[in-house]
Amino acid sequence: MAAVLGISGYYHDAAAALVVDGRVVAAMQEERFSRIKNDAGLPRRAAQACLAAGGLAAADLDQVVFYEQPFAKLERVLMSLLRTFPRSLRQFPRALAAQLGQKIWVLDQIAEMLDVPRDRVTATEHHRAHAASAFFVSPFARAAVLTVDGVGEATSTALWRGDGDRLDCVGRIEFPHSLGLLYAGLTAYLGFEVNEGEYKVMGLAAFGAPRFRDEFARLVQLHGDGSFELGLDYFGHLADAELGFGPRLEALLGPRRPPGKPWDLEHSAEDRRYADIAATLQAVTEDALLALAREAGRRTGADALCLAGGVALNAVANARLRREAGFARVFVQPAAGDAGAALGAALLGALGRGDPRPAPLASAALGTAISAAEAQALAEQLGLRWRRLDDVPAEVATRIAAGQLVAFCQGRFEWGPRALGQRSLLAAPSSPATRDRINRVVKRREPFRPFAPAVLADRAGELFADAPSDLTPFMTTVCPVRAERAAALGAVTHVDGTARVQTVAAGGALHAVLDAVGDATGVPVVLNTSLNGPGEPIVAAATEAVAFLVAHPIDALIVEDLLLTREAT
Amino acid sequence: MRWLVRLVTPIVWRIPGHAGRKLHGFARAEEGSRIDLLQAARQTPSVVRRARYLRHALDETRHAAMFARASARLRRDDGRPPLGPPVADTEELFERLGEVGFLAFVHRGERRGRQQFEIYRDHFARRGDARTAAIFEAILADERQHEGYTREVLVEVAGGERPARAALRRAARWEAWRTWRRAGRFVVERLYTVAMMALYVAIAPLALAVRRLQPARRGWLPPGED
Repeated sequence: MAAVLGISGYYHDAAAALVVDGRVVAAMQEERFSRIKNDAGLPRRAAQACLAAGGLAAADLDQVVFYEQPFAKLERVLMSLLRTFPRSLRQFPRALAAQLGQKIWVLDQIAEMLDVPRDRVTATEHHRAHAASAFFVSPFARAAVLTVDGVGEATSTALWRGDGDRLDCVGRIEFPHSLGLLYAGLTAYLGFEVNEGEYKVMGLAAFGAPRFRDEFARLVQLHGDGSFELGLDYFGHLADAELGFGPRLEALLGPRRPPGKPWDLEHSAEDRRYADIAATLQAVTEDALLALAREAGRRTGADALCLAGGVALNAVANARLRREAGFARVFVQPAAGDAGAALGAALLGALGRGDPRPAPLASAALGTAISAAEAQALAEQLGLRWRRLDDVPAEVATRIAAGQLVAFCQGRFEWGPRALGQRSLLAAPSSPATRDRINRVVKRREPFRPFAPAVLADRAGELFADAPSDLTPFMTTVCPVRAERAAALGAVTHVDGTARVQTVAAGGALHAVLDAVGDATGVPVVLNTSLNGPGEPIVAAATEAVAFLVAHPIDALIVEDLLLTREAT
Repeated sequence: MRWLVRLVTPIVWRIPGHAGRKLHGFARAEEGSRIDLLQAARQTPSVVRRARYLRHALDETRHAAMFARASARLRRDDGRPPLGPPVADTEELFERLGEVGFLAFVHRGERRGRQQFEIYRDHFARRGDARTAAIFEAILADERQHEGYTREVLVEVAGGERPARAALRRAARWEAWRTWRRAGRFVVERLYTVAMMALYVAIAPLALAVRRLQPARRGWLPPGED
């Protein structure tokens, strides 16, 4: 029996996860503590918070596992720089400085950061960590596992056979051929930030038509065996990691969209063309993933599929895989991106030490708890009104039914990029005006981005086709909204008639709220969006929750059983 | 120093594109300050100071948004694309300097910011750009308040006027040392880049060999170590 800490970091989304005696005790992203979105450092605070959650000191750890092998990565970076000579001229000094000055020493730095003996710190393969993060917490005894991201050490895509506590690689595709980097390159081309704007591209795609198939056939070729190949001349990731695409891409698709320019899909033909490019990218990515998943099924013979890697956060593609890839069941854990690999690294370490495989992941509430007492003390200082509630669900339901925006903080914060009811902003799901209000005055984000519904799991099928499923508890898929219920779900229905559904099982605070909302309105659904301002990480502690109330024109904040408002309650 | 800023401001702010870039730089600085203050709010043991840091952080959020919008407007007027949302890092000032050192550093920063913004407000008012001048004026009101409260809290936390002045001197020395190190890093980075360029040219034969003998692999590869 062992205590193992998994670590991801030094790229983006630093995170830590703690597995004790084969049980997932805690898993947290550093950004929640540092307040830097997609924090790319080492997860010092997250690691300490994981240890605190487990009641352990660093000295109690049997092993610390980093999510990739630094020297294998150095080799890939060097080979890539040499292969692209002389185009890699700009990248060469920066890449060497990052690798030699920082990244290859990461295991020593982790030992120093945690004050543990260096021989307790090990590294695992990046894609193996991804695969472990999905399969070992899935509900499946056997499954095909598909890992797809930008790049790990050298691999960009891998197929695995998961069986009990074993994971065997059955095929892989190497950098520079990468679906993650294809999506990232086009994300940058469309004027969004890489590693952050991919969700926006996915939302934008629904507004366009995939009419650039011929052009995209030059960007990525799909082969009959499920593999793919990028048209490398169009991309910049070989020679310049910052830009992601090359001048030939602009020659092919037209000039890039300037970052930060407001979108106007209604009146701007140019913006509609960018939406068509996003739609084509989404369609081509789905085709590629579908071919990979079918190949995974063919090679493993499994009837269940697990997905991990940043590309597995593409909820629209996941829905298509579930429908068309030929698997009976599909699972994606909530932190499928690089943060999630910290969990996989910890699980690999634990299994390697003979610990049992953990139980399937039932909840993403693996962060630190929130303190109502702290929120109350702060509210008093800031002159906010507060009162303790006897019936939290009834209060939330009443306010939502009245069209209010309610910030809702309960228990430990979520693992992954989605608010799943622990740090959420809740509203009525019916009126598109609510959606527009949140977009305009709270999120200040692009008007084409959809909001997600949370629904009682046992009533999800009445409102959404394909729900519930293994994907819906963690909001990693989309489901068609049933036409006859569309009027009641206007704020959470995307332009293509789908919604990124979260199904909520009995037992938690959000379930009780949905029950009460169902009683009040007849529709057990709320609009559920993350509790954060533009460009900020999701709220973690009471300090940020209260700050959110002060800074945004919402109607109420509920922290455990404490109601906070700006005006008299 | 203020006379120098007053002297060069009319010249450098006329450089095409400078104003938009500079305002975006202010937005980034405000964003960085916001993160530092939020971290301070999390870490201070006093709920009274937590509330004050939080209010200050919310002001910085607003300032960052105002500067970013003004930057985008000026760049649009110049026919240039906006520079996007301001993104900043943190120096972990509260942890590194302790609460007294942090307050001294923030106080000095607020005073310096207030002095600079007064010059820039006057500059834009003279140029007839009332809109940009008004932004500086609006932010100046907050900067004065921040300057005042950080001094007041510094005296309280440091335990009196004399230790507060000592903390301000230490903060000044720390800033000077940081500037020196930054200058050193600037020089070393240039030397490093030149050395790397020379190395890059020297490895040309190796690069040609790698391209010939070990090209990037495509399609499915057998399982094995990544």
